[in-house]
Amino acid sequence: MKACKILKKTVGALAAVYAGLFAVYYFDLDGKLLYYVVEPFMIKRFDNMKRRDPLSVPYDQIDKEYM
Amino acid sequence: MRDLKHLIYFEELLQEANNDLVRKAKEDGKKVLGYTCYFMPEVLLNLPGCISVRLRAPRCTSPDMATYYMSGRTCHYGRSLMERALEGGYNFLDAQLATETCTVTCRFQEHLGYKSETFDSTIIPNNDFKVEFTDVPFKKTENSLDHYEKELQVHVLDFLKNEYGIDTSDKALKQAIKDYNEICEIIQEIGEYRKLDNPTITGYEFSVITLVSMACPWYLIKDKLKETAKELKTRKPDDKPNWKIKVELAGGENDDPDFIKLIESCGALVVADRHCYGALEARVPIEIKEGETPLAAITRHYLYTSQCARYMEQKEMRNRKQVIADYAKEYKADGIIVISNKFCEYWSYERMIDTIVIPRDYGYPVCSIEKEYINSASGQLRTRFQAFVESVELKKIQEGK
Amino acid sequence: MKKPDFEKIKNTNFKKLAHDFVYGKPHGERRLGELYIPGTGLYKHREWRGIKDTMYAFNNIWLYNYGMLVKDLVVLGGGPKGLVQFLKGTMRYRWMGQTYLTVMHWVDRNLEGMRGEALRGSAWHFRGIINACLVQITQMFNRDISLGGDPKLWEKTMGHDETLWGGVFYPFRDQMTNIPLQMIPYFVTCHCNNHTVLNYIDAAQALGLPGDPCPMCQAEAGIFLQDDVPDFFKAFVTTNEACDGSVATSVIQDWMINKPLFAMPQPMQFDNEEVLENCAKEIEGAWKFTEEKLGVKFNWDELVKNLESQNELQRFEWEKWDVAANTNSYPINGVAQALYRIFQGQYGDLPIWHEVDAKVRKIMDKCVEEKINTFPMTRHRVIAWSCAPLYYSAWCTWAYNCWGLNTIINMDSLMFDMEIRTDSYENCLMDMARYHEWAPMRRMAVGGLQHIFELWDNMEKFNCDMVMMYDQLKCKGMQGVHGLFEDEFRARNINAIWMPHALPDKRDVSRAEIRDIVNDYMFTVMGEEPLDPSLLEFDDANSW
Repeated sequence: MKACKILKKTVGALAAVYAGLFAVYYFDLDGKLLYYVVEPFMIKRFDNMKRRDPLSVPYDQIDKEYM
Repeated sequence: MRDLKHLIYFEELLQEANNDLVRKAKEDGKKVLGYTCYFMPEVLLNLPGCISVRLRAPRCTSPDMATYYMSGRTCHYGRSLMERALEGGYNFLDAQLATETCTVTCRFQEHLGYKSETFDSTIIPNNDFKVEFTDVPFKKTENSLDHYEKELQVHVLDFLKNEYGIDTSDKALKQAIKDYNEICEIIQEIGEYRKLDNPTITGYEFSVITLVSMACPWYLIKDKLKETAKELKTRKPDDKPNWKIKVELAGGENDDPDFIKLIESCGALVVADRHCYGALEARVPIEIKEGETPLAAITRHYLYTSQCARYMEQKEMRNRKQVIADYAKEYKADGIIVISNKFCEYWSYERMIDTIVIPRDYGYPVCSIEKEYINSASGQLRTRFQAFVESVELKKIQEGK
Repeated sequence: MKKPDFEKIKNTNFKKLAHDFVYGKPHGERRLGELYIPGTGLYKHREWRGIKDTMYAFNNIWLYNYGMLVKDLVVLGGGPKGLVQFLKGTMRYRWMGQTYLTVMHWVDRNLEGMRGEALRGSAWHFRGIINACLVQITQMFNRDISLGGDPKLWEKTMGHDETLWGGVFYPFRDQMTNIPLQMIPYFVTCHCNNHTVLNYIDAAQALGLPGDPCPMCQAEAGIFLQDDVPDFFKAFVTTNEACDGSVATSVIQDWMINKPLFAMPQPMQFDNEEVLENCAKEIEGAWKFTEEKLGVKFNWDELVKNLESQNELQRFEWEKWDVAANTNSYPINGVAQALYRIFQGQYGDLPIWHEVDAKVRKIMDKCVEEKINTFPMTRHRVIAWSCAPLYYSAWCTWAYNCWGLNTIINMDSLMFDMEIRTDSYENCLMDMARYHEWAPMRRMAVGGLQHIFELWDNMEKFNCDMVMMYDQLKCKGMQGVHGLFEDEFRARNINAIWMPHALPDKRDVSRAEIRDIVNDYMFTVMGEEPLDPSLLEFDDANSW
């Protein structure tokens, strides 16, 4: 009986997760999260990232055989 | 300085590809062979019985028909050549010895030989006219030498022999090398005067002389060139130079002497060149080493002297900057003008890196210019050149020179 | 409270509604354009394709691929350390952190309106591509010494141009790893999320590069100039594939990489028989370079094993072409066909290609046996020629949904059209040379006009009645032959739509402009009406 209850609960929980995922899929909630939240955050991060100055890169690779 | 005796004559010869001397050569029974790129060895196109013309399209400011065929987004040089071809300006050619060394000139040359199955696509109205392509390597290695030599044998020598009955024997090749070297030595002799502290020849004049040697049959222009060299021996420079700085002109395609005139009118004397149609290394005599066939010598010469931006080896990419700096030093240039034609892929990148690396690593100021084939926007360019001249002058003053 | 509209309810055909719910709306009634949130490319809700296909799209595409993403990351990344490296890479590189998270939307865009076997066959292709991306992403990050990657792996890794065929390194695959440098940071990003690449193009121009060279090469240079290249390789092999711009951009790459570099150019006039030997020697040169720089040994058996495996893929590709050319039962849409083929041919052999091909074979066999018309609303069989807009590869699905233009095949799919012999070293080497010469954007675009005009033969072979002529505004090779195409189209009485674009850069020609051009042609020249008028105009300016 208890096992049956646990099974029912598990199946119920899995069904709820499945339905939730379907809602995410159908209403494009993954896209909306990425578009309105994640991407702006990442853009900000990458725009403010300190980067190497390309003009400081030496032009001196020397490899006698293949240079 | 006193005007050079033949300058106006030379200038006139440069007004069209089919100039008086080319017509005379044709009357003499020579086969006239067109080409566009240094990688098509000029010397091979001047074997006994034929002459070469490095194609130009002077005064072509509005290539409308070519723009239909090649769109407005390809380099003006390639389009101008196409326009001139469509106008009938290259109808005198017996063959075009082509290379796929840059995309747009390649496309232009492909058009010359295109035969549509569905409509008459003839551009050169000569049934015997042919276009033959040679593959050109991207490296300076033994493999590239073998490849290039094979290509020149098959697509130049065998082609000329089979199609036009041209003698391509070693003896004939040696004769062509001799003729070529003679021209080179004259041009080199003339060029030596550019190394003087106060040069007795301008960049414009030198450009005209160099171009004439590419656009005219050697056997008909040689004497005039020799006379000019002799004339320069006694030519006196102006007491007070009318230039403020000396510059090297480097970069991509330029066969417009007026562009150099424009630079010089802004106070920068052009004393050295490293660009298509005017590279110093393009007029270096060919040496046949011991045990070498004439074709092998020619192959080596062209492959190794070229400083084209299409070479991909690491050492070549880096050496190109060194060569530009070495020329500047040898010819006592105060600065370097690096040019690329609009829509030129190779020289857009090369110009960008030259503009950064040469000042930083070699100490030469660089003026970076994107130009058209024929430069109608001379006002803007003049402003750029004047500003460059002023900045270099200022630098010289600050350095106490 | 609003009163219920009884009149409307009364007039509602519930039987039809129920039918549409179960089977999906028929093509012609779908109004897919109304699903978009203006400007974003996001969906108000994803398409209801009927119960069966919606559940397939949810379970077998969306859920499955998200699941596989996680699984691939764990398996390919080599466990928890791989996951940490992945997270570090995601936070460090714009092309990763801003781009690849949106991968499922890329798949969505390319499968819009698909039903039945076409939905299934096309989706499998994307699964293959995503896995292949993750192979490279995990390899790059695990080796990236600037992110604390494994130096021992770095020592045994060769970076190379994405346009250099990965198969060149087959003889060493048991001892080292080869990773195409730009395929993930540049090429796939443009399809997946085209916002990212604009940063790189701007970076190149900010340093003085004019705006007119090929924007692909500009972007490749820009990735270096923006310091966005992972340090995962010990040495580098570059190539001249496919054009002047690729050669020219090497100058910037070489400078910024500042490591040992081997140039492996291929001949341009590849019809000349005598060029093969030169090409073969260059491949041998790359092998020698690899041996010396990475301390590995040439393994003939490994080469044969990989080539045989690749030949198997090629044979199936030919079967696919046969079905595409001669039946209405080809279950793969134009964009899936193109991207899968170019990725597979260029990258080289991978287990995932075989898994995908096995699945697709089943689907295709079923379609052929049961004579399923996979794209039933096809009005025109289209061949797409020249190089495609990377930011709008999904135009194929749009054109089918809106106008019934079914892209059967495209130029870049037709590259690498050969098997490689493995019976002797010499034959194998010559075939490898030939294969490399027939690379994308090269096989048709260089070596003479006869190649680009193979269009006519392929139109006939694939039974196409219309050409989508890509007009890459900054491709000098294709611009240089524009007028002749016009003349030939006219002389041959071929309906061709010129589609202007700038490869990765949507700022030159927007997707809406591309659609306008197609719409205008279909209305005015073809005199046809759209199948789905809601797709004629919609705002996706800022979509991925």
